[in-house]
Amino acid sequence: MYANDRLLEVFQRSRSGQYMKEVEFDLLLARRVNELVKEYNITFDPNNVCPADDDLADRVFQAGLQLFVDMGAYHLDSQRVIKFSRAEILDALRQAPDTLHLGEGRDMVIARHRNIEDPHPPLNLTGPAGQPCSEEHYLELMISYAQEPYVHAIESGATLTYNGYDIVAGTLMEVKAVQRDAATAREAIRRVGRPGMHIGDCATGMTAVGKMAASEPVNLLRPCDGRLVAQMCEMKINDDQLIRVPHLINYGSQIINLMTPLTGGIGGGPAGVAVVSVAETLLGVVCYFATYHYLSITHIKWQNNSDPWGMYVLAMTGQAMARNSHIVWTNDPFCVNGAGTVENLYEVAGHAIIGSVCGYQEHGVGSTGGNVVDHHTGLEAGWQGEVGIAATLSGITREKANEIALKLLPLYKDTFNNPKLGQPFHELYNTQTITPKQEWQDCYRRAKETLNKLGLAFTQGPYD
Amino acid sequence: MAVVPKEIANNLKNALFQGDTDAAASATQAALTQGIAPLVLVQEIIVPALTEVGRRFEALDIFLPELMAAGEAGNVCTAIIEQAILKSGSQMHSEGTVVIGAVKGDIHDIGKNIVTSLLKAHGFKVIDLGKDVPAARFIDEAENNRADVIAASALMSITRAGCRDVADLLRDRGLKDKYLFIVGGGSITQQYADEIGANGFSETGSGAVELVKSLMTKKRGV
Repeated sequence: MYANDRLLEVFQRSRSGQYMKEVEFDLLLARRVNELVKEYNITFDPNNVCPADDDLADRVFQAGLQLFVDMGAYHLDSQRVIKFSRAEILDALRQAPDTLHLGEGRDMVIARHRNIEDPHPPLNLTGPAGQPCSEEHYLELMISYAQEPYVHAIESGATLTYNGYDIVAGTLMEVKAVQRDAATAREAIRRVGRPGMHIGDCATGMTAVGKMAASEPVNLLRPCDGRLVAQMCEMKINDDQLIRVPHLINYGSQIINLMTPLTGGIGGGPAGVAVVSVAETLLGVVCYFATYHYLSITHIKWQNNSDPWGMYVLAMTGQAMARNSHIVWTNDPFCVNGAGTVENLYEVAGHAIIGSVCGYQEHGVGSTGGNVVDHHTGLEAGWQGEVGIAATLSGITREKANEIALKLLPLYKDTFNNPKLGQPFHELYNTQTITPKQEWQDCYRRAKETLNKLGLAFTQGPYD
Repeated sequence: MAVVPKEIANNLKNALFQGDTDAAASATQAALTQGIAPLVLVQEIIVPALTEVGRRFEALDIFLPELMAAGEAGNVCTAIIEQAILKSGSQMHSEGTVVIGAVKGDIHDIGKNIVTSLLKAHGFKVIDLGKDVPAARFIDEAENNRADVIAASALMSITRAGCRDVADLLRDRGLKDKYLFIVGGGSITQQYADEIGANGFSETGSGAVELVKSLMTKKRGV
């Protein structure tokens, strides 16, 4: 049992845990996941991507807990395994917060733990979410997110250049870019009259030095904002990530556990990846002292989570954590299609509905699998928030969420192997007025009409 | 040249499909003991079996652990065969040597690992440098191992400049024409590959294998 400082214990165990080659850990993990999936009878049915099965949700949680107890976290630098006992893990989970105050002043929002089919609508904590951005349109792009009425927080994206020069991780260029981008995010929220809005991260920072360079309470990220601490696939951590934790604790900042479990990866199929996702959430609680979590499920081939596998993992891990913990966490729709396509909005909608009924706060969107520069805008991010709220207020159940998601799927699944990349921000928006052009607004209205027919009741939206 | 007996061939194939390193080692030893030529084992059993595993992974009929386990089993077989070849005074045939790694600052290597497994499955010798690899190390290892290809991967957009660093250093050290330099990973596009002067780019693991094969064919044809 750890004494009074769990963080020191994480460090000590990273230096004294069992030595293991990385590939051995991967293969052991894969084998253990397979065993647990069978032992706990966790099954995937592509016709039921959002099961309404409380017992299954509890079994997913128990299997994930057992996986973390058995496997621990792999520390990449020391090549040792950090393990915690079941009692230690559950104790850390009990200590994790159930309510967060994000942002400040009148723009502060309160993020609470959400239950399955929770009557309280989700918040929408969004932004370019780590997608690649050009520096040319960065301020306008950030404004496009911050101005959306159904957006409650923004996250700074990842710019590629600084004054035209490549940004190189771990160099002074990374620090300069982080400082510029965090300041730009703050300028964006100031310009739209929401100066206290929570800023979730500055994704241009890749290293601990870069992330920490954003800590400056006047012009950059404040204690009421947050920073990501990431896990590597699967259940792997390193010193560069851990270094951020004491800094962020001392700064008083939100710590966000970023997980990117791969469907088709080490966890195997969707049943296994749901188990891995629970284990990674617990890892974030124990090792990163996370105050909230991003579950960014990633298909190994298409880099999305709008497929049946991704939807199932989203549904089951969400329900598992909703029923067996009090923590706050978010979903993260990653789509193969880009901004400017109605298929992108359908991908977002299916994910947002399942997320909303399975206990998540909303977060996202990753368009084009997060790959193409500037092919993302505020419109689809606001749409996610609007759909999440509509799902709650329409009383959508898990059964209904499954039905809607499966009806949306044929509208975009043919694009998985041949995505529609859409258009860049500056072609989809008037960059002076920062409003979406007619064609992009038409996609929004078309998607809304479809969702309306499928049972979602919307209130007045920004582009109706 | 001895034909591989059906039972041994099946045992070895099944061991590779199942990623069973012990069974793969036993089957390889048994084949060598029976006088099967090492090269025949590689060309007729190991490469086709691992190619089939790669195809199944690309089709998502199997998942990453099965691909990795097959790759590990293949490594064990190759090590045994290499020893046998060295003992006989010959040299191991390889389709070419590839030095591969995720660039400086990038700690995401699953895509790179997939490419590594698939290249090995197609008979290439692969020197895997892991992740967070400085530009100079790619080139030093290529020099030390008489490599044909340098392959750099960058998942995160902010780390992709590491690929340019490799390209620049190859040029500045006068080695640009000595190695085929290819790039890949989530943050890389064909446009970026062209911009930094890479010889090729691939979006997928199987595409990377085809790219290396076609570049090697061109190189040998010169």
